[in-house]
Amino acid sequence: MIADDATMSRLALMAQAGDRQAYGTLLTTSRDWLARYYRRKVPPVQIDDLIQDTLLSLHRRLASYDPDRSFYPWLAAIARYRFIDHLRLVYRQSVETHSDDADFAVDSGEDAIAARISLERLFEILPNGQRAAIELVKIKGLSIREASDKTGQSEALIKVNIHRGLRRLAGMVEKA
Amino acid sequence: MNTNTDDMIGRLVADLTPVRPLRQRVGMVRTLLAFAVSVGIVIYAIGVRADIMAGRPDPMFLTSSGLFLVLALASTWAAIDMARPSVGTRRDGWAWTATMAAVLPVAALGLIAIDLFTGQPVRTAPGGYECLAVGTAAGSLTLVSLVTWLRRGAPTFPTLAGTLVGVAAGSAGIFGVSLCCPQNDLIHIGIWHGGTVVLMGVLGRLFLPRVLAW
Repeated sequence: MIADDATMSRLALMAQAGDRQAYGTLLTTSRDWLARYYRRKVPPVQIDDLIQDTLLSLHRRLASYDPDRSFYPWLAAIARYRFIDHLRLVYRQSVETHSDDADFAVDSGEDAIAARISLERLFEILPNGQRAAIELVKIKGLSIREASDKTGQSEALIKVNIHRGLRRLAGMVEKA
Repeated sequence: MNTNTDDMIGRLVADLTPVRPLRQRVGMVRTLLAFAVSVGIVIYAIGVRADIMAGRPDPMFLTSSGLFLVLALASTWAAIDMARPSVGTRRDGWAWTATMAAVLPVAALGLIAIDLFTGQPVRTAPGGYECLAVGTAAGSLTLVSLVTWLRRGAPTFPTLAGTLVGVAAGSAGIFGVSLCCPQNDLIHIGIWHGGTVVLMGVLGRLFLPRVLAW
């Protein structure tokens, strides 16, 4: 059961005044809302971590909620911010994992698989050319020329596809 | 639901202390005070323009400094509002004000371009470095005020927030300078006064996101 916005606004106002009972209800309801929010975006194994990160951010930035405004758009803004942070982390881990074969052999556990699934979900929105260019150059670490030989795209097209693909992914994340 | 999350909620509830919500008007008053102090310091150090003192201000001065003042207020308002995130909130009013103020440097560059294309001696803009340096320094109080405010809040677009802080600080600083600078020349105002805002905006975009990230 997700509470309506007016109720959440009241709870947030009471929490800002130090009411622990109201705060507990606010966090529990936010947890449930966040679970639904993230379920559409990341693999199940990552949801709890993201929820905890977001609740911690909510706790640290409780003063940034304006009781005159709606509550859920505020929570959604924080959730989106943490989601983008999470994607950056996943992307970095993925690049590091793939650029170091020795480490890859040791570290290819659950997190790496989850990171991969998350990236593949994002890649589903890209045309094949852009997806191949980003995967080969940005994730597998091939040079532009090697990627060009492998895909049959010209070197210029590889660069353009990387640029356009990354911009499209960024736009998708912004809208999320 | 994961018991870790429930445990964490319990700890957060136990850790709760009362907080004062960030109010837009409080942030605005704080920053306007910083703005006023920096303008006061510039006026004290350099002195007010002679035409203002004589009660006959130049129209070019009135127009350009008015544009910078409005840009300072609009970008300050938008920057302060970024401390309180909310999906679906539009904060693009400052961009229209910035576009209006951009007429000054664009017109100055246009005049220089006309001189170059028609083979006439290029009109110069004397004394610009001083305005740039003093304007940048004068904007630093506004910048510090905005950064401390945003660090208390939750800016979810640190790059845009950094740019806005830079533009607000640059336009506030150059507004103070314009009250003292004796020049009424469009090229001087467009290139050096406008350039101060652009420079601060770029610096804000480059360096502030790391400071504002949370």
